[in-house]
Amino acid sequence: MAGFFRALGKLFGGSKPEPASPAELEALRAAYRARCESFRRLLAANNAALDVMASMEEALRGLKPFGMTFVRGQCARVAANVFQIVRQLSLLTSGRFDALYDKLKEIQARIAPHLAPRSGQVRGPLVLPLEQAGVDLADEVGGKVASLGEVARRLGRRIPPGFAITASGYQRFMAAADLQPEIDRRIQAADASRLDEVFALSSALRSLILAAALPQDLEEAILASYRDLEARTGPGVRVALRSSAIGEDALGASFAGQYHTELNVPAEEVLSTYKEIVASKYGVTAMTYRLTRGIPDEDVAMCVGCMAMVGALAGGVAYSRDPLDIRAGRVVINAVAGLPKAVVDGSFDPDVFVVERGEPMVLARAEIAAKPRKYVCDPVEGIALVEVPEDEAQAPSLSEAQALEVAALARDLEEFYGLPQDMEFALAPDGGIVLLQSRPLHQTEAAQAATPAAPQNAPAEPDVLVSGGTTASPGVGCGPVCVVKKDADALSFPQGAVLVAAQAHPRWAPLLSRAAAVVCEAGSAAGHLANVAREYGVPALLGVSGALERLAGAGDVTVDADNRRVHAGRVEALLENRPAPRNLMEGSPVHAALTAACEHIVPLHLINPDAPEFAPGHCRTLHDITRFCHELSVREMYLAGNDGLEGFSKQLTSGKSKLKYWVIDLEDGFKEQVTGRFVDIGQIASGPMLALWRGMVAVPWAGPPAADAKGFLSVVAGAACNPELDPTMATTFAVKNYFMISREFCNLQSRFGFHFCTVEAQAGDDPQENYVSFQFKGGAADLSRRVRRARLVAELLEERDFRVEVREDALFARLEGFDKAATLDRVAVLGYVVIHTRQLDMAMANDGLIASLRDKMDKDLNGLLTATGLSAK
Amino acid sequence: MHILLVDDETEFLELMTKRLDRRNFQVSTAANGADALKLLAGTPVDVVVLDVRMPGMDGIETLKHIKKLTPATEVILLTGHANMEVALEGMTQGAFDYLLKPVAINDLIFKIQDAAKKSGKTT
Repeated sequence: MAGFFRALGKLFGGSKPEPASPAELEALRAAYRARCESFRRLLAANNAALDVMASMEEALRGLKPFGMTFVRGQCARVAANVFQIVRQLSLLTSGRFDALYDKLKEIQARIAPHLAPRSGQVRGPLVLPLEQAGVDLADEVGGKVASLGEVARRLGRRIPPGFAITASGYQRFMAAADLQPEIDRRIQAADASRLDEVFALSSALRSLILAAALPQDLEEAILASYRDLEARTGPGVRVALRSSAIGEDALGASFAGQYHTELNVPAEEVLSTYKEIVASKYGVTAMTYRLTRGIPDEDVAMCVGCMAMVGALAGGVAYSRDPLDIRAGRVVINAVAGLPKAVVDGSFDPDVFVVERGEPMVLARAEIAAKPRKYVCDPVEGIALVEVPEDEAQAPSLSEAQALEVAALARDLEEFYGLPQDMEFALAPDGGIVLLQSRPLHQTEAAQAATPAAPQNAPAEPDVLVSGGTTASPGVGCGPVCVVKKDADALSFPQGAVLVAAQAHPRWAPLLSRAAAVVCEAGSAAGHLANVAREYGVPALLGVSGALERLAGAGDVTVDADNRRVHAGRVEALLENRPAPRNLMEGSPVHAALTAACEHIVPLHLINPDAPEFAPGHCRTLHDITRFCHELSVREMYLAGNDGLEGFSKQLTSGKSKLKYWVIDLEDGFKEQVTGRFVDIGQIASGPMLALWRGMVAVPWAGPPAADAKGFLSVVAGAACNPELDPTMATTFAVKNYFMISREFCNLQSRFGFHFCTVEAQAGDDPQENYVSFQFKGGAADLSRRVRRARLVAELLEERDFRVEVREDALFARLEGFDKAATLDRVAVLGYVVIHTRQLDMAMANDGLIASLRDKMDKDLNGLLTATGLSAK
Repeated sequence: MHILLVDDETEFLELMTKRLDRRNFQVSTAANGADALKLLAGTPVDVVVLDVRMPGMDGIETLKHIKKLTPATEVILLTGHANMEVALEGMTQGAFDYLLKPVAINDLIFKIQDAAKKSGKTT
């Protein structure tokens, strides 16, 4: 490049001017333009890479859920941009730093293992008889089926005869139809933060699975197992198909009710029902749940248990401990006549049997409900709800002896597993108790048992809208009431609203990650919605009668779940002691993957550009490479060339003052040919640069706003009082500002102490090509002040039509498609912002000060507008 | 400016063609790598927007062929399957850039215009 610089020196008025031939001239111009293009692309990729890194850092804080598609996507994005940076630096420096390519590959290789799917390809049998399944095979049959098999195998208890379609079977299905890549692609394309997109995605994924063909070997294996089952039970035996997912159990997760169970399935529908259950992996509730808990999609294999139907005389659910008071020595049984389905989905009131533990166990209480209907197996409909005669409706579903037998089974299961259990059972026609499934009981917070009783009738305090009910999840939450009755209501559920519904239905679970609190008229603390609310730390009050009527249209309310009251408006006193929002992702596999990947991406070790360690060999992260390349490219473009000539940049002057700004002309940014090392502002023809300048000098900078003592770091304090910091004044302070311009284009890189920013704008006659982008980061104050400054700037820019994103203390703003005059006005706005927010971070501790600063800046900005009518809202 | 979109997803091709058409680009499409190469052999194209995962010849393979056949044609990889290794492989093979679906149409257009600048076409 040295020759190139020498030639340029001649061309643009270096030390020894000599005439250049027209051909030489043209070649030099072309080379020069190419270098400018490279530099511009490097800067764009640099900004994009930093943007991605900021989003990864923000995601690590775990306030918003993300999946593996996010982690893989951001890693791929940042890698591609860093490659671009290295490539452009290579072009600028004739390959002097090509060792960076290998560094980049090394870093990629260190990240790759953390992004790979964890579920090893199991190569076991496609199906397994239930009685062979046990906890040692949980990776093949899923937790639910494994524990059932274990109970049969080790405790010798009765379970329905049947078989499991294994994880290997599931993977065989997914592989044969090549489903996973297509599923991943669709997940990547959807915006998981929008519920309507999640609903559409769920429906598309389920259709995809239902439409896929089962591979022949899997089909044959399933049908052969079914024929074996027929041989053991009877021809044409009906079966129940139950999901038994793998990969979610690790977190003690409460995913009951998320998946599909199909009862009384005839032989000819076994295969299609299997697909339906596999497809239920992509139900909205299940998908949202995985996302919010950081469970990688591909780690979850859907195993399916297929069991002969038990023609149940009665059935239900037994808890080996009272779910609302885990320490009390009671077994609680909910039972109905017919199939246990009515208990599981809460369709009508069951009989409740409370059995005191002890030797012997004693039936302490039996509350017999009127059960005018029951579910039975129906040859045509699968299962049917039928009316029962009056006397039968009043009869207990279980005899005392049967209730005690069920309680004993629950107690034995708890002893066997060492954990309280939640089990589903049926009373077979021969009078025996058959275990259908068993899982650990999701425990309730013990604290709530001690909650004082709230008044049930008219509230005493005037601001209490409703009171009573059960604390299903403790805490206090505040937000506008949003009544949810149907799925369409769910789609428009706003972030931070209070969910109010008639029933605590599991289908509202996807809303909990955005709800401030939950209030339902019905529902129990043992239900799925309550479980998820506790998991997410969302306060929930269930069983509040009249809630819908009294809360609809109430606007902001404060839900005090601990005291079982809902107050009108925002009650700050109650909200004060609220715990910080829970990091839902912490400790999850997805969060761990992002953390591990970020270690090789985000930390910056190359801090000091003058240190000997500032070299390619010391780059350990993608951020290091990015920083190195940025610094080197700036040196290459603006600072002294290696033969002692100035680069191609010219120092900006205003009359007699030399300013700390350098300018590179991409092609037609000067009004006239400019020789020498300086260019005056009066010689600039670039529209966007002039607009930017207009904003920068419109209002003299008064120095940093008065800050509280703590706000100032000594390192800046001295410099801040320096009048030379005015951008139009010459200064010796280490400010580095670079313009790159053409007639319709301007890029400004500005470094002011610890504060970096970039403005880029295109303003020509075609509005579709016009854009303005702005990015800044840094500052000398602590993070919270810098974050507040970023928010203040974001507000000012949003009011002037920019799209703005704030990530920690970094701000990214963009605007496009405006005509030339309107675009230039917004460029001027940025000019003002660049100058006047430089040390605002120092003043950001005081809310009153922020408000008055904001008013002043608002006025100044409006004063900048020409006739194009920036909408000052 | 002539753009070639290569993607096995017809829905995507239709949508993008409509949008780019509106911005006065001349758009051709191909549903797979082989068709894309056939088209490129006979028609000069400024920028190719290439899917990575396609049945038959994949995007990276297609990219290598394009760079051999018409080195001046710039190729933007646009994929629904984010993969860091593939991203770097694509860039190493000379892709102008690597983007992920879904991409905002304006971002894609800026990228196409930038690529066209490099391939020598500016309008």
